[in-house]
Amino acid sequence: MTVSLHTFGRPCWRDLLFASSLALLLAWLAPSLASAAESNVQRSPRATVSLVSDYAAVTPGQELRIGLRQRLAPHWHTYWKNPGDAGSPPSIAVTAPDGASVGEIAWPGPDRFIVGPAASYGYENEIVFPLALRVPNDAQAGSQLRLDANADWVVCEKECIPEQGKFQLTLPVEASARPASDDILVAFKTADARQPQPSSWKATASAGESTLQLVVKGAGISPRSVSAALYFPDSWGIVDHVAPQALEVEEGVLRLMTTKGQGYAPGPSAGLLAITDGGGQKRWFALDLTPAAASAAASAADAPSTLPLWQMAWFAFLGGLILNLMPCVFPVLAIKATAVAGMAGGEQRAVRLSGMFYTLGVLAAFMALALALLAVRAAGGAVGWGFQFQSPLFVTALCWLMLAIGLNLSGVFEVGSALAGAGQELAGRKGHAGSFFTGLLAVVVATPCTAPFMGAAIGSALLAPAHVSLVVFAMMGLGLALPFLLLGMFPAIARRLPRPGRWMVTLRQGMAFPMYATAAWLLWVLAQQAGEAGLRLALAGSVLVGLVGWLVGLGQHGAGKRWWPRGGALAGVAGLAGLMVTLHASAPSAAPASAQASQAEPYSAERLAALRAEGKPVFVNMTAAWCITCLVNERTTLSSAAVQQAMRERGVVYLKGDWTNRDPAITAFLQSFGRDGLPFYAFYPAGKEPAVLPPVLTQAIVTASFEQ
Amino acid sequence: MNAFSRRALLRTTISAAALLCAAVPGLAAPAIGQAAPAFTAVDSKGKQHTLADFKGKVVVLEWTNHDCPYVKKHYQANMQGLQRQAQQAGVVWLSVISSAPGEQGHVDGKKADELTASRNAAPTAVLLDPQGTIGKAYDARTTPHMYVIDAKGVLRYAGGIDSIASAKVEDLDKASPLFKTAMQAVVKGENVAQAVTRPYGCNVKYKS
Repeated sequence: MTVSLHTFGRPCWRDLLFASSLALLLAWLAPSLASAAESNVQRSPRATVSLVSDYAAVTPGQELRIGLRQRLAPHWHTYWKNPGDAGSPPSIAVTAPDGASVGEIAWPGPDRFIVGPAASYGYENEIVFPLALRVPNDAQAGSQLRLDANADWVVCEKECIPEQGKFQLTLPVEASARPASDDILVAFKTADARQPQPSSWKATASAGESTLQLVVKGAGISPRSVSAALYFPDSWGIVDHVAPQALEVEEGVLRLMTTKGQGYAPGPSAGLLAITDGGGQKRWFALDLTPAAASAAASAADAPSTLPLWQMAWFAFLGGLILNLMPCVFPVLAIKATAVAGMAGGEQRAVRLSGMFYTLGVLAAFMALALALLAVRAAGGAVGWGFQFQSPLFVTALCWLMLAIGLNLSGVFEVGSALAGAGQELAGRKGHAGSFFTGLLAVVVATPCTAPFMGAAIGSALLAPAHVSLVVFAMMGLGLALPFLLLGMFPAIARRLPRPGRWMVTLRQGMAFPMYATAAWLLWVLAQQAGEAGLRLALAGSVLVGLVGWLVGLGQHGAGKRWWPRGGALAGVAGLAGLMVTLHASAPSAAPASAQASQAEPYSAERLAALRAEGKPVFVNMTAAWCITCLVNERTTLSSAAVQQAMRERGVVYLKGDWTNRDPAITAFLQSFGRDGLPFYAFYPAGKEPAVLPPVLTQAIVTASFEQ
Repeated sequence: MNAFSRRALLRTTISAAALLCAAVPGLAAPAIGQAAPAFTAVDSKGKQHTLADFKGKVVVLEWTNHDCPYVKKHYQANMQGLQRQAQQAGVVWLSVISSAPGEQGHVDGKKADELTASRNAAPTAVLLDPQGTIGKAYDARTTPHMYVIDAKGVLRYAGGIDSIASAKVEDLDKASPLFKTAMQAVVKGENVAQAVTRPYGCNVKYKS
């Protein structure tokens, strides 16, 4: 009764009190139950921050995600891992029970905010920085998984405010996992939409003086699918963060042209490419940049696609034409000019055929060189354009050949009549063989001269698929052969040549001297390559060549045909062959071209890296005894007092690489710049990326390069 | 003449265009190893200085904004220590304030002197650059942003005060003291191994 009386006596009051307390308790509990997947929340006028989980209840061994959730006031932002010019990325340290593991932040793709002359990479409105979490296998259902996190972050509008927070997130371990509330799942999902997607695109960077061009190639890139694009490097210094990134898109290729960052160094670098499609949807793709030259080597097939084949062929043709003006080719052209002069007034057909055979010779030589290079490349060898000059045997043989041609032009002996015997009808054929041979020789001798003009072109033509390089080389050959081909095709031109006469003999004898000069130069090259021993053998051989020439001539001119001049000549040729074998056996003693007057140190990749690490400016000169342009540059410029003094004053270390003999390290160095021939000069300013100098130097060019 | 010179020409044209665009908001950064940009500025005491006045001495430029948390981090003690070290080595230390009127960190000469006194700082002078002229000449982007100019007037270091971009004092000891190393090297006449590093901090509050 008492009870009931009690109950009835003060019924409403008590019950109301109880009910309302319960309601209050429930009201207090309810949000905490609903947001069990969220820690305590820290609020400032700028940011509301908490630690969230995508599951409200977890199971033993479960893999799920937690995240630092930031809800920002309008216009305030926080930062990506590379914050751009100002600010700093958030950091979080999570303490989890034994057996649990917490990963690193999986950074969502950022946006770029420009404030005055500075750019920030980060997020506005709301972002979740997710981390992977693994629940211990031995967690007991009914227990709780407690996570403690210390986080700090900087939130900026115009001004930056550093904030920090301690968060405690407790997740019940249950028999089956329970996802978090929709609100939290949506927050995760929004951040997930920013997660960088993998891409199979190839991205290359080529740096200019102050520019950086990114070229991204791959399927799915088209003017329709890309309406805006922005590159975000993972680290500082690659690009100027605030500079515009000018976009060009065509089918399969996207280019961004921007300003190079102050800390740019050629080398692979990671980053993101944010692409906005035609519908305004923005997505982020992981993008690994490689320097343009290195990637060209890695993916040869891509290299030529930037220029249609017919254009490459056309430019190669023009390049070949220009080769006719190069000093290396001159001695060979002299031979040809002599031959053409001999035909002046001759039969049209013979002149035409001569031009044709010369062209064939040039083409055959270009093809042979290109195939040889491609074959060695395919076998993984490191060779460069002009590689034949790296063999002392080749240099010796060429020297003797030049000497022999000189002797022939001087009239010591005649080619043909001795070997082919008499017979006017054979002369025609012999002439064609001669034309073919002249064409071959023109190319073989001309290659070292081609590099300064065509270095980059040859380099990348060799990296192109085989059929493309062959077409390019063939066109270059056609260009080289064109003047004489035209002469044959249009007899009108040939008819303008003076009538044959005494002048032809004088011309012919005069033309002998370029041959002797070439022979002398080749001897000097050999001395660099094979040292004194090699030079001795080559000089002995030269005397033998002279002897053989004289003997052959004696056999031709002498009264009556005696056996001994011919026998002597044969013995002489045998002697030459013997010398060749000896030279081969003695092997290039590789007496490296010494550093001569200047205080150059020999180049090595290690030395270069060490000097760079010490912060010293370095000048690299890649040279070879057979590279005439290189030698001229050294004589007139690099060894000059002015340049040497400028180097001393600025503490520039002068490294000189000698490619006279084969050297894979130098070949690799050249290829890293997309080059395949000499001359090559690069200046590495302290702490900055190298600048490549032009192939023909002046003192002003070199000293100006130090000013950078 | 060949494929590559044509492409190069095209590329140069594009680069030139891109540079032209970039020149609008971006600024040409002064180059390491070249003469540091000349300037004339008035300090907190109304005295005029030019960079040429300090020829023969190593000069440090420190961009600052006393309300920036990154500056506050270093002014707990680190910056003053560096300033005293510079003073002992005969280095001229110029703190530069490029905050525009109405922006965070903008101060008049009196307030600047008060700040120096209250923080026990030891700069040679505090330069007031409310127009941002010096800041833009040096492409100063953050506070702090540090520069070292050698006795010949050649810029030798531009970048961060240290290697850990944070506003947390605890990170001071963990960071590699990039600026301090550079300043010591320049004082000794040695090369600066890392001459360009990442500056970090608040953005400089230039006049918009």
